[in-house]
Amino acid sequence: MFSNIEFFLFEAFRSFQRGALMCFVAIGTITVSLVIFGLFLLLVINLGNIIGSVSSKIDLAAYVEKDLSLESAGALQLELSRIPGVVKVDFISRTEAWKKFQEEYGDTLALDEIIAGNPLPHTFNIKVRTPEILPMVAKRISEMDNIDEVRYSGQFIEQVRSLIDAVRIGGAALVVLISFATLLIVVNTIRLTVLARETDIYIMKLVGATNTFVKWPFIIEGVILGILGGLSSFLILKFSYDAIIARIAVALPFVPLVADQRLLALVYLVMVLGGTALGMIGAYISVSKVLKAEG
Amino acid sequence: MIELVNVSKSYPNGIDVLFNISLNIGKEEFVFLVGSSGAGKTTLLKLLYRDETPTSGKVIVDRVNVAELDSSQVPYLRRNIGVVFQDYKLLPKRTVFENVAFALRVTGAPRSTIRRKVMQALELVGMLRRANAFPEELSGGEKQRACIARAIVNNPPILLADEPTGNLDPTTSWDIIQLLDKINKRNTTVMMATHNKSIVDDMKRRVVAIENGRIVRDQLLGGYNV
Ligand SMILES: Nc1ncnc2c1ncn2[C@@H]1O[C@H](COP(=O)(O)OP(=O)(O)OP(=O)(O)O)[C@@H](O)[C@H]1O
Ligand SMILES: [Mg+2]
Repeated sequence: MFSNIEFFLFEAFRSFQRGALMCFVAIGTITVSLVIFGLFLLLVINLGNIIGSVSSKIDLAAYVEKDLSLESAGALQLELSRIPGVVKVDFISRTEAWKKFQEEYGDTLALDEIIAGNPLPHTFNIKVRTPEILPMVAKRISEMDNIDEVRYSGQFIEQVRSLIDAVRIGGAALVVLISFATLLIVVNTIRLTVLARETDIYIMKLVGATNTFVKWPFIIEGVILGILGGLSSFLILKFSYDAIIARIAVALPFVPLVADQRLLALVYLVMVLGGTALGMIGAYISVSKVLKAEG
Repeated sequence: MIELVNVSKSYPNGIDVLFNISLNIGKEEFVFLVGSSGAGKTTLLKLLYRDETPTSGKVIVDRVNVAELDSSQVPYLRRNIGVVFQDYKLLPKRTVFENVAFALRVTGAPRSTIRRKVMQALELVGMLRRANAFPEELSGGEKQRACIARAIVNNPPILLADEPTGNLDPTTSWDIIQLLDKINKRNTTVMMATHNKSIVDDMKRRVVAIENGRIVRDQLLGGYNV
Protein backbone atom coordinates (compact mmCIF):
# COMPACT_ATOMS: atom_id res chain seq x y z
CA MET A 1 0.00 0.00 0.00
CA PHE A 2 2.70 2.49 0.99
CA SER A 3 4.58 2.00 -2.24
CA ASN A 4 1.58 3.69 -3.82
CA ILE A 5 1.57 6.90 -1.82
CA GLU A 6 3.58 8.72 -4.41
CA PHE A 7 1.17 7.56 -7.08
CA PHE A 8 -1.86 8.65 -5.06
CA LEU A 9 -0.44 12.12 -4.53
CA PHE A 10 0.42 12.36 -8.18
CA GLU A 11 -3.08 11.24 -9.14
CA ALA A 12 -4.71 13.71 -6.78
CA PHE A 13 -2.70 16.63 -8.10
CA ARG A 14 -3.24 15.62 -11.66
CA SER A 15 -6.97 15.65 -11.27
CA PHE A 16 -6.72 19.38 -10.46
CA GLN A 17 -4.84 19.96 -13.62
CA ARG A 18 -7.46 18.11 -15.64
CA GLY A 19 -10.56 19.27 -13.90
CA ALA A 20 -9.31 22.78 -13.13
CA LEU A 21 -12.70 24.43 -13.55
CA MET A 22 -14.46 21.88 -11.35
CA CYS A 23 -11.82 22.28 -8.67
CA PHE A 24 -12.03 26.03 -8.87
CA VAL A 25 -15.79 25.87 -8.37
CA ALA A 26 -15.37 23.45 -5.48
CA ILE A 27 -12.78 25.62 -3.74
CA GLY A 28 -14.97 28.67 -4.32
CA THR A 29 -17.99 26.96 -2.80
CA ILE A 30 -16.04 25.75 0.19
CA THR A 31 -14.58 29.23 0.65
CA VAL A 32 -17.94 30.98 0.54
CA SER A 33 -19.63 28.60 2.92
CA LEU A 34 -16.72 28.73 5.35
CA VAL A 35 -16.68 32.54 5.22
CA ILE A 36 -20.37 32.57 6.10
CA PHE A 37 -19.69 30.08 8.87
CA GLY A 38 -16.81 32.20 10.17
CA LEU A 39 -18.88 35.38 10.04
CA PHE A 40 -21.55 33.78 12.16
CA LEU A 41 -19.01 32.51 14.60
CA LEU A 42 -17.51 36.00 14.96
CA LEU A 43 -20.95 37.55 15.21
CA VAL A 44 -21.93 35.25 18.04
CA ILE A 45 -18.63 35.74 19.84
CA ASN A 46 -19.00 39.52 19.54
CA LEU A 47 -22.57 39.55 20.76
CA GLY A 48 -21.47 37.60 23.79
CA ASN A 49 -18.67 40.04 24.31
CA ILE A 50 -20.88 43.10 24.04
CA ILE A 51 -23.40 41.72 26.47
CA GLY A 52 -20.61 40.73 28.82
CA SER A 53 -19.19 44.22 28.80
CA VAL A 54 -22.59 45.80 29.34
CA SER A 55 -23.34 43.59 32.27
CA SER A 56 -19.95 44.19 33.83
CA LYS A 57 -20.96 47.82 34.08
CA ILE A 58 -23.89 47.02 36.32
CA ASP A 59 -23.14 47.43 39.98
CA LEU A 60 -24.63 47.46 43.42
CA ALA A 61 -25.01 50.48 45.57
CA ALA A 62 -24.83 49.78 49.30
CA TYR A 63 -25.85 52.64 51.59
CA VAL A 64 -24.50 52.52 55.07
CA GLU A 65 -26.23 53.79 58.18
CA LYS A 66 -26.06 57.51 58.31
CA ASP A 67 -24.13 57.93 61.52
CA LEU A 68 -21.37 55.46 60.65
CA SER A 69 -17.86 56.83 61.16
CA LEU A 70 -15.27 56.92 58.40
CA GLU A 71 -13.13 54.38 60.27
CA SER A 72 -15.92 51.84 60.53
CA ALA A 73 -16.69 52.47 56.86
CA GLY A 74 -13.08 51.58 56.00
CA ALA A 75 -13.42 48.32 57.91
CA LEU A 76 -16.69 47.66 56.16
CA GLN A 77 -15.08 48.20 52.75
CA LEU A 78 -12.53 45.51 53.53
CA GLU A 79 -15.28 43.17 54.63
CA LEU A 80 -17.28 43.82 51.46
CA SER A 81 -14.35 43.20 49.19
CA ARG A 82 -13.92 39.77 50.74
CA ILE A 83 -17.36 38.58 49.67
CA PRO A 84 -16.97 35.92 46.95
CA GLY A 85 -17.87 37.29 43.53
CA VAL A 86 -17.13 40.88 44.42
CA VAL A 87 -14.41 42.30 42.23
CA LYS A 88 -14.30 45.95 43.20
CA VAL A 89 -15.59 48.14 46.03
CA ASP A 90 -15.51 51.91 45.65
CA PHE A 91 -16.18 54.11 48.60
CA ILE A 92 -18.04 57.37 48.14
CA SER A 93 -18.17 59.49 51.27
CA ARG A 94 -21.38 61.29 52.06
CA THR A 95 -19.73 64.70 51.58
CA GLU A 96 -18.50 63.65 48.17
CA ALA A 97 -21.89 62.30 47.25
CA TRP A 98 -23.64 65.45 48.39
CA LYS A 99 -21.25 67.62 46.44
CA LYS A 100 -21.89 65.62 43.30
CA PHE A 101 -25.62 65.80 43.87
CA GLN A 102 -25.49 69.52 44.34
CA GLU A 103 -23.41 70.00 41.25
CA GLU A 104 -25.88 68.04 39.24
CA TYR A 105 -29.14 69.43 40.58
CA GLY A 106 -28.15 72.60 42.41
CA ASP A 107 -29.13 74.82 39.52
CA THR A 108 -32.63 73.52 39.14
CA LEU A 109 -33.51 72.96 42.75
CA ALA A 110 -33.00 75.32 45.58
CA LEU A 111 -31.52 72.55 47.68
CA ASP A 112 -30.53 74.59 50.69
CA GLU A 113 -34.10 75.75 51.09
CA ILE A 114 -35.57 72.26 50.94
CA ILE A 115 -33.00 70.32 52.89
CA ALA A 116 -31.01 71.39 55.88
CA GLY A 117 -27.61 69.77 55.90
CA ASN A 118 -26.40 66.68 54.03
CA PRO A 119 -29.08 63.98 53.95
CA LEU A 120 -26.96 61.38 52.17
CA PRO A 121 -25.21 58.39 53.77
CA HIS A 122 -21.80 57.02 52.84
CA THR A 123 -22.12 54.77 49.82
CA PHE A 124 -20.24 51.80 48.42
CA ASN A 125 -20.28 51.06 44.71
CA ILE A 126 -19.72 47.35 44.34
CA LYS A 127 -18.88 45.48 41.11
CA VAL A 128 -19.46 41.77 40.89
CA ARG A 129 -17.91 39.22 38.58
CA THR A 130 -21.08 38.29 36.66
CA PRO A 131 -24.56 39.72 36.72
CA GLU A 132 -26.08 36.35 37.60
CA ILE A 133 -24.80 36.54 41.15
CA LEU A 134 -26.00 40.08 41.76
CA PRO A 135 -29.16 39.18 43.68
CA MET A 136 -27.27 36.75 45.88
CA VAL A 137 -24.50 39.19 46.69
CA ALA A 138 -27.05 41.94 47.29
CA LYS A 139 -28.92 39.84 49.77
CA ARG A 140 -25.76 38.92 51.62
CA ILE A 141 -24.66 42.55 51.87
CA SER A 142 -28.04 43.75 53.05
CA GLU A 143 -27.81 41.29 55.95
CA MET A 144 -24.51 42.79 57.10
CA ASP A 145 -24.23 45.09 60.10
CA ASN A 146 -24.20 48.82 59.47
CA ILE A 147 -25.72 48.44 56.03
CA ASP A 148 -28.89 50.36 55.64
CA GLU A 149 -29.98 49.49 52.15
CA VAL A 150 -28.74 47.77 48.98
CA ARG A 151 -29.91 48.80 45.55
CA TYR A 152 -29.49 47.51 42.07
CA SER A 153 -31.57 47.56 38.98
CA GLY A 154 -33.19 44.18 39.34
CA GLN A 155 -35.33 44.29 36.26
CA PHE A 156 -32.45 45.34 34.07
CA ILE A 157 -30.36 42.49 35.41
CA GLU A 158 -33.11 40.04 34.56
CA GLN A 159 -33.26 41.39 31.03
CA VAL A 160 -29.52 41.19 30.59
CA ARG A 161 -29.54 37.70 31.94
CA SER A 162 -32.19 36.45 29.57
CA LEU A 163 -30.44 38.23 26.70
CA ILE A 164 -27.22 36.42 27.55
CA ASP A 165 -29.07 33.12 27.65
CA ALA A 166 -30.78 33.86 24.34
CA VAL A 167 -27.49 34.75 22.66
CA ARG A 168 -25.81 31.68 24.05
CA ILE A 169 -28.52 29.26 23.03
CA GLY A 170 -29.39 31.00 19.78
CA GLY A 171 -25.74 31.40 18.90
CA ALA A 172 -24.94 27.78 19.59
CA ALA A 173 -27.98 26.67 17.58
CA LEU A 174 -27.02 28.93 14.69
CA VAL A 175 -23.45 27.73 14.68
CA VAL A 176 -24.62 24.11 14.67
CA LEU A 177 -27.06 24.88 11.88
CA ILE A 178 -24.51 26.72 9.78
CA SER A 179 -21.93 23.99 10.38
CA PHE A 180 -24.42 21.48 9.13
CA ALA A 181 -25.24 23.55 6.06
CA THR A 182 -21.53 24.00 5.37
CA LEU A 183 -21.01 20.26 5.68
CA LEU A 184 -23.81 19.54 3.21
CA ILE A 185 -22.57 22.09 0.70
CA VAL A 186 -18.97 20.96 0.85
CA VAL A 187 -19.82 17.27 0.73
CA ASN A 188 -22.07 17.80 -2.26
CA THR A 189 -19.51 19.92 -4.07
CA ILE A 190 -16.87 17.26 -3.64
CA ARG A 191 -19.39 14.68 -4.72
CA LEU A 192 -19.76 16.43 -8.05
CA THR A 193 -16.02 16.15 -8.63
CA VAL A 194 -16.21 12.45 -7.83
CA LEU A 195 -19.30 11.76 -9.92
CA ALA A 196 -17.59 13.36 -12.90
CA ARG A 197 -15.21 10.42 -12.76
CA GLU A 198 -17.68 7.65 -12.09
CA THR A 199 -16.77 5.84 -15.30
CA ASP A 200 -13.10 6.03 -14.41
CA ILE A 201 -13.83 4.45 -11.07
CA TYR A 202 -15.77 1.67 -12.77
CA ILE A 203 -12.90 0.97 -15.16
CA MET A 204 -10.33 1.05 -12.37
CA LYS A 205 -12.33 -1.55 -10.53
CA LEU A 206 -12.61 -3.69 -13.66
CA VAL A 207 -8.85 -3.92 -13.98
CA GLY A 208 -8.41 -5.02 -10.40
CA ALA A 209 -8.25 -1.94 -8.20
CA THR A 210 -9.40 -2.41 -4.61
CA ASN A 211 -11.81 0.09 -3.10
CA THR A 212 -9.03 1.48 -0.95
CA PHE A 213 -6.84 2.00 -3.97
CA VAL A 214 -9.60 3.93 -5.73
CA LYS A 215 -10.42 5.98 -2.65
CA TRP A 216 -7.02 7.36 -1.73
CA PRO A 217 -6.46 9.84 -4.54
CA PHE A 218 -9.97 11.19 -4.06
CA ILE A 219 -9.48 11.61 -0.33
CA ILE A 220 -6.17 13.38 -0.87
CA GLU A 221 -7.86 15.57 -3.43
CA GLY A 222 -10.69 16.33 -1.01
CA VAL A 223 -8.21 17.28 1.69
CA ILE A 224 -6.36 19.59 -0.69
CA LEU A 225 -9.58 21.23 -1.86
CA GLY A 226 -10.60 21.62 1.78
CA ILE A 227 -7.28 23.16 2.80
CA LEU A 228 -7.32 25.59 -0.12
CA GLY A 229 -10.94 26.54 0.58
CA GLY A 230 -10.18 26.89 4.28
CA LEU A 231 -7.12 29.05 3.67
CA SER A 232 -8.83 31.40 1.25
CA SER A 233 -11.82 31.76 3.56
CA PHE A 234 -9.38 32.52 6.38
CA LEU A 235 -7.70 35.26 4.34
CA ILE A 236 -11.00 36.79 3.24
CA LEU A 237 -12.44 36.74 6.74
CA LYS A 238 -9.28 38.05 8.39
CA PHE A 239 -8.96 41.02 6.07
CA SER A 240 -12.62 41.93 6.19
CA TYR A 241 -12.83 41.53 9.97
CA ASP A 242 -9.73 43.63 10.51
CA ALA A 243 -11.22 46.28 8.24
CA ILE A 244 -14.55 46.15 10.10
CA ILE A 245 -12.83 46.49 13.46
CA ALA A 246 -10.87 49.48 12.23
CA ARG A 247 -14.03 51.20 10.95
CA ILE A 248 -16.09 50.51 14.04
CA ALA A 249 -13.30 51.61 16.35
CA VAL A 250 -13.63 55.03 14.68
CA ALA A 251 -17.38 55.23 14.10
CA LEU A 252 -18.72 53.46 17.20
CA PRO A 253 -15.89 53.47 19.72
CA PHE A 254 -18.15 52.35 22.56
CA VAL A 255 -18.94 49.02 20.87
CA PRO A 256 -16.43 46.56 22.27
CA LEU A 257 -15.56 44.27 19.33
CA VAL A 258 -13.42 41.23 19.94
CA ALA A 259 -9.88 41.94 18.83
CA ASP A 260 -8.14 39.36 20.96
CA GLN A 261 -5.69 37.91 18.47
CA ARG A 262 -5.57 34.55 20.19
CA LEU A 263 -9.33 34.10 20.08
CA LEU A 264 -9.42 35.19 16.44
CA ALA A 265 -6.57 32.83 15.59
CA LEU A 266 -8.64 30.05 17.11
CA VAL A 267 -11.63 30.97 14.94
CA TYR A 268 -9.46 31.00 11.82
CA LEU A 269 -7.87 27.71 12.78
CA VAL A 270 -11.32 26.17 13.19
CA MET A 271 -12.16 27.34 9.67
CA VAL A 272 -9.03 25.93 8.03
CA LEU A 273 -9.19 22.66 9.93
CA GLY A 274 -12.95 22.49 9.40
CA GLY A 275 -12.48 22.99 5.67
CA THR A 276 -9.87 20.25 5.58
CA ALA A 277 -11.99 17.82 7.53
CA LEU A 278 -15.05 18.60 5.42
CA GLY A 279 -13.09 18.06 2.21
CA MET A 280 -11.87 14.73 3.44
CA ILE A 281 -15.23 13.56 4.77
CA GLY A 282 -16.93 14.76 1.58
CA ALA A 283 -14.53 12.86 -0.63
CA TYR A 284 -14.77 9.74 1.49
CA ILE A 285 -18.57 9.72 1.55
CA SER A 286 -18.84 10.41 -2.18
CA VAL A 287 -16.34 7.80 -3.32
CA SER A 288 -17.81 5.22 -0.98
CA LYS A 289 -21.23 5.89 -2.44
CA VAL A 290 -20.04 5.49 -6.02
CA LEU A 291 -18.13 2.32 -5.13
CA LYS A 292 -21.13 0.89 -3.35
CA ALA A 293 -23.40 1.60 -6.30
CA GLU A 294 -21.05 -0.37 -8.50
CA GLY A 295 -20.91 -3.24 -6.08
CA MET B 1 -9.71 -23.61 -15.16
CA ILE B 2 -13.15 -22.30 -16.03
CA GLU B 3 -16.33 -24.17 -15.35
CA LEU B 4 -19.91 -23.06 -15.77
CA VAL B 5 -22.59 -25.24 -14.19
CA ASN B 6 -26.21 -24.67 -15.21
CA VAL B 7 -25.73 -20.96 -15.47
CA SER B 8 -28.69 -18.74 -16.28
CA LYS B 9 -28.70 -15.00 -16.44
CA SER B 10 -31.50 -12.48 -16.57
CA TYR B 11 -30.84 -8.77 -16.44
CA PRO B 12 -32.77 -6.71 -13.91
CA ASN B 13 -34.87 -5.25 -16.74
CA GLY B 14 -36.32 -8.73 -17.23
CA ILE B 15 -34.36 -9.75 -20.33
CA ASP B 16 -33.34 -13.42 -20.16
CA VAL B 17 -29.92 -13.71 -21.77
CA LEU B 18 -28.38 -17.07 -20.83
CA PHE B 19 -30.21 -20.35 -20.24
CA ASN B 20 -28.72 -23.26 -18.35
CA ILE B 21 -25.21 -22.96 -19.72
CA SER B 22 -22.67 -25.63 -18.75
CA LEU B 23 -19.13 -25.44 -19.99
CA ASN B 24 -15.73 -26.72 -18.94
CA ILE B 25 -12.51 -25.14 -20.15
CA GLY B 26 -9.08 -26.52 -19.30
CA LYS B 27 -5.99 -24.57 -18.41
CA GLU B 28 -4.22 -24.94 -21.76
CA GLU B 29 -7.21 -24.25 -23.95
CA PHE B 30 -7.89 -21.58 -26.55
CA VAL B 31 -11.63 -21.24 -27.06
CA PHE B 32 -13.56 -19.21 -29.60
CA LEU B 33 -16.97 -18.02 -28.53
CA VAL B 34 -19.14 -17.40 -31.58
CA GLY B 35 -22.74 -16.44 -32.10
CA SER B 36 -24.76 -13.71 -33.65
CA SER B 37 -25.04 -10.28 -32.17
CA GLY B 38 -27.03 -10.28 -28.95
CA ALA B 39 -26.52 -14.02 -28.42
CA GLY B 40 -25.04 -13.47 -24.97
CA LYS B 41 -21.25 -13.75 -25.53
CA THR B 42 -20.29 -10.59 -23.68
CA THR B 43 -22.67 -11.46 -20.88
CA LEU B 44 -21.05 -14.86 -20.46
CA LEU B 45 -17.58 -13.28 -20.26
CA LYS B 46 -18.81 -10.69 -17.75
CA LEU B 47 -19.90 -13.50 -15.43
CA LEU B 48 -16.32 -14.77 -15.34
CA TYR B 49 -14.78 -11.54 -14.05
CA ARG B 50 -17.81 -10.78 -11.86
CA ASP B 51 -18.98 -7.71 -13.69
CA GLU B 52 -22.30 -9.53 -13.58
CA THR B 53 -23.55 -12.30 -11.32
CA PRO B 54 -25.59 -15.24 -12.63
CA THR B 55 -29.25 -15.52 -11.72
CA SER B 56 -28.60 -19.18 -10.98
CA GLY B 57 -25.82 -21.70 -11.38
CA LYS B 58 -22.14 -21.79 -10.56
CA VAL B 59 -19.33 -19.91 -12.24
CA ILE B 60 -16.09 -21.52 -11.18
CA VAL B 61 -12.80 -19.84 -12.00
CA ASP B 62 -9.66 -21.49 -10.72
CA ARG B 63 -11.70 -23.65 -8.28
CA VAL B 64 -13.56 -20.65 -6.81
CA ASN B 65 -17.25 -20.01 -7.37
CA VAL B 66 -17.02 -16.37 -8.32
CA ALA B 67 -20.80 -16.01 -8.20
CA GLU B 68 -20.52 -16.19 -4.42
CA LEU B 69 -17.21 -14.39 -4.06
CA ASP B 70 -17.08 -11.72 -1.37
CA SER B 71 -16.92 -8.34 -3.06
CA SER B 72 -13.69 -7.53 -1.23
CA GLN B 73 -12.09 -10.43 -3.10
CA VAL B 74 -13.26 -9.40 -6.55
CA PRO B 75 -10.21 -7.17 -7.29
CA TYR B 76 -7.92 -10.16 -6.79
CA LEU B 77 -10.05 -12.27 -9.13
CA ARG B 78 -9.84 -9.55 -11.75
CA ARG B 79 -6.06 -9.31 -11.47
CA ASN B 80 -5.97 -12.96 -12.56
CA ILE B 81 -8.18 -12.34 -15.57
CA GLY B 82 -6.98 -10.07 -18.33
CA VAL B 83 -9.92 -8.65 -20.25
CA VAL B 84 -9.94 -7.09 -23.69
CA PHE B 85 -13.22 -5.20 -23.55
CA GLN B 86 -15.41 -4.95 -26.60
CA ASP B 87 -15.62 -1.18 -25.97
CA TYR B 88 -11.97 -0.92 -24.79
CA LYS B 89 -12.74 0.83 -21.50
CA LEU B 90 -9.58 2.90 -21.55
CA LEU B 91 -9.30 5.66 -18.96
CA PRO B 92 -9.93 8.76 -21.08
CA LYS B 93 -7.55 11.21 -19.47
CA ARG B 94 -4.54 8.95 -19.30
CA THR B 95 -1.98 8.08 -21.88
CA VAL B 96 -1.68 4.61 -23.36
CA PHE B 97 1.31 4.01 -21.10
CA GLU B 98 -0.62 5.04 -17.99
CA ASN B 99 -3.61 2.96 -18.96
CA VAL B 100 -1.52 -0.15 -19.32
CA ALA B 101 0.49 0.70 -16.22
CA PHE B 102 -2.69 1.01 -14.19
CA ALA B 103 -3.30 -2.75 -14.24
CA LEU B 104 0.10 -3.22 -12.60
CA ARG B 105 -0.17 -0.25 -10.29
CA VAL B 106 -3.22 -1.69 -8.55
CA THR B 107 -1.10 -4.70 -7.60
CA GLY B 108 1.42 -2.44 -5.86
CA ALA B 109 4.24 -3.35 -8.24
CA PRO B 110 7.38 -1.20 -7.98
CA ARG B 111 7.84 1.56 -10.50
CA SER B 112 10.78 0.07 -12.33
CA THR B 113 8.95 -3.21 -12.84
CA ILE B 114 5.88 -1.36 -14.06
CA ARG B 115 7.90 0.56 -16.61
CA ARG B 116 9.67 -2.50 -17.94
CA LYS B 117 6.56 -4.64 -18.22
CA VAL B 118 4.45 -1.89 -19.79
CA MET B 119 7.10 -1.28 -22.43
CA GLN B 120 7.24 -5.00 -23.16
CA ALA B 121 3.49 -5.25 -23.49
CA LEU B 122 3.29 -2.19 -25.74
CA GLU B 123 6.08 -3.55 -27.87
CA LEU B 124 4.22 -6.83 -28.17
CA VAL B 125 1.08 -5.18 -29.52
CA GLY B 126 3.06 -2.72 -31.65
CA MET B 127 1.99 0.34 -29.67
CA LEU B 128 5.32 1.53 -28.34
CA ARG B 129 5.25 4.46 -30.71
CA ARG B 130 1.89 5.59 -29.35
CA ALA B 131 2.75 5.16 -25.68
CA ASN B 132 2.20 8.83 -24.87
CA ALA B 133 -0.99 9.29 -26.84
CA PHE B 134 -4.35 9.74 -25.15
CA PRO B 135 -7.18 7.35 -26.07
CA GLU B 136 -9.07 10.07 -27.94
CA GLU B 137 -6.06 10.45 -30.20
CA LEU B 138 -6.10 6.78 -31.19
CA SER B 139 -7.80 4.91 -34.01
CA GLY B 140 -10.18 2.07 -33.15
CA GLY B 141 -7.51 -0.52 -33.84
CA GLU B 142 -4.96 1.31 -31.75
CA LYS B 143 -7.36 1.50 -28.83
CA GLN B 144 -7.97 -2.19 -29.19
CA ARG B 145 -4.26 -2.92 -29.07
CA ALA B 146 -3.77 -0.66 -26.05
CA CYS B 147 -6.55 -2.58 -24.37
CA ILE B 148 -4.87 -5.88 -25.23
CA ALA B 149 -1.58 -4.62 -23.80
CA ARG B 150 -3.35 -3.74 -20.55
CA ALA B 151 -5.02 -7.16 -20.43
CA ILE B 152 -1.79 -9.08 -20.76
CA VAL B 153 0.63 -6.82 -18.92
CA ASN B 154 0.64 -8.76 -15.67
CA ASN B 155 0.61 -12.21 -17.25
CA PRO B 156 -2.78 -13.28 -15.97
CA PRO B 157 -3.53 -17.01 -16.07
CA ILE B 158 -6.76 -16.26 -17.94
CA LEU B 159 -7.29 -13.92 -20.86
CA LEU B 160 -10.76 -13.00 -22.07
CA ALA B 161 -10.94 -11.16 -25.36
CA ASP B 162 -14.26 -9.73 -26.49
CA GLU B 163 -13.97 -9.19 -30.23
CA PRO B 164 -10.36 -8.07 -30.03
CA THR B 165 -10.12 -7.83 -33.79
CA GLY B 166 -13.39 -6.03 -34.36
CA ASN B 167 -11.68 -2.86 -35.50
CA LEU B 168 -8.55 -4.25 -37.08
CA ASP B 169 -7.57 -4.79 -40.69
CA PRO B 170 -6.95 -8.45 -41.70
CA THR B 171 -3.17 -8.23 -41.30
CA THR B 172 -3.25 -6.65 -37.86
CA SER B 173 -6.06 -9.00 -36.85
CA TRP B 174 -3.87 -11.86 -37.75
CA ASP B 175 -0.94 -10.39 -35.77
CA ILE B 176 -3.17 -10.07 -32.76
CA ILE B 177 -4.37 -13.65 -33.07
CA GLN B 178 -0.78 -14.82 -33.30
CA LEU B 179 -0.11 -12.85 -30.14
CA LEU B 180 -3.06 -14.43 -28.32
CA ASP B 181 -1.87 -17.82 -29.54
CA LYS B 182 1.59 -17.12 -28.16
CA ILE B 183 0.11 -16.05 -24.85
CA ASN B 184 -1.99 -19.21 -24.80
CA LYS B 185 1.13 -21.32 -25.33
CA ARG B 186 2.68 -19.51 -22.33
CA ASN B 187 0.17 -21.39 -20.23
CA THR B 188 -2.71 -18.91 -20.32
CA THR B 189 -6.29 -19.92 -20.85
CA VAL B 190 -7.69 -17.81 -23.68
CA MET B 191 -11.35 -17.26 -24.44
CA MET B 192 -12.19 -15.06 -27.35
CA ALA B 193 -15.60 -13.89 -28.50
CA THR B 194 -15.56 -13.10 -32.19
CA HIS B 195 -17.46 -12.66 -35.41
CA ASN B 196 -14.32 -13.14 -37.49
CA LYS B 197 -15.03 -16.23 -39.60
CA SER B 198 -11.66 -16.55 -41.33
CA ILE B 199 -9.70 -16.44 -38.10
CA VAL B 200 -11.88 -19.09 -36.44
CA ASP B 201 -11.68 -21.28 -39.52
CA ASP B 202 -7.94 -20.94 -39.89
CA MET B 203 -7.03 -21.47 -36.25
CA LYS B 204 -8.90 -24.74 -35.88
CA ARG B 205 -9.43 -24.44 -32.15
CA ARG B 206 -12.29 -25.32 -29.87
CA VAL B 207 -15.40 -23.40 -30.85
CA VAL B 208 -18.36 -22.77 -28.54
CA ALA B 209 -21.35 -21.40 -30.40
CA ILE B 210 -24.14 -19.62 -28.54
CA GLU B 211 -27.52 -18.79 -29.99
CA ASN B 212 -30.25 -17.07 -28.02
CA GLY B 213 -28.48 -17.77 -24.77
CA ARG B 214 -27.95 -21.48 -25.30
CA ILE B 215 -24.87 -23.42 -26.33
CA VAL B 216 -25.74 -24.88 -29.70
CA ARG B 217 -22.33 -26.31 -30.55
CA ASP B 218 -19.13 -27.17 -28.68
CA GLN B 219 -16.57 -28.52 -31.08
CA LEU B 220 -12.85 -29.20 -30.73
CA LEU B 221 -10.90 -28.14 -33.84
CA GLY B 222 -14.04 -26.45 -35.06
CA GLY B 223 -14.89 -23.80 -37.62
CA TYR B 224 -17.09 -20.74 -37.55
CA ASN B 225 -19.99 -22.64 -39.04
CA VAL B 226 -20.83 -26.29 -38.66
N1 LIG C 1 -26.68 -4.44 -18.80
C1 LIG C 1 -27.68 -4.97 -19.51
N2 LIG C 1 -28.93 -4.79 -19.13
C2 LIG C 1 -29.95 -5.32 -19.83
N3 LIG C 1 -29.80 -6.04 -20.92
C3 LIG C 1 -28.57 -6.27 -21.38
C4 LIG C 1 -27.42 -5.72 -20.71
N4 LIG C 1 -26.31 -6.10 -21.39
C5 LIG C 1 -26.74 -6.82 -22.43
N5 LIG C 1 -28.08 -6.93 -22.45
C6 LIG C 1 -28.88 -7.69 -23.40
O1 LIG C 1 -28.46 -9.03 -23.33
C7 LIG C 1 -28.40 -9.60 -24.61
C8 LIG C 1 -27.04 -10.20 -24.85
O2 LIG C 1 -26.09 -9.18 -24.89
P1 LIG C 1 -24.54 -9.46 -25.08
O3 LIG C 1 -23.85 -8.16 -25.00
O4 LIG C 1 -24.13 -10.53 -24.15
O5 LIG C 1 -24.50 -10.00 -26.57
P2 LIG C 1 -23.26 -10.38 -27.46
O6 LIG C 1 -23.37 -11.80 -27.79
O7 LIG C 1 -22.01 -9.95 -26.80
O8 LIG C 1 -23.51 -9.48 -28.76
P3 LIG C 1 -22.46 -8.76 -29.70
O9 LIG C 1 -21.94 -9.82 -30.63
O10 LIG C 1 -23.27 -7.77 -30.46
O11 LIG C 1 -21.43 -8.17 -28.85
C9 LIG C 1 -28.77 -8.51 -25.59
O12 LIG C 1 -30.11 -8.70 -25.95
C10 LIG C 1 -28.61 -7.24 -24.80
O13 LIG C 1 -29.55 -6.30 -25.24
MG1 LIG D 1 -20.61 -8.55 -27.13
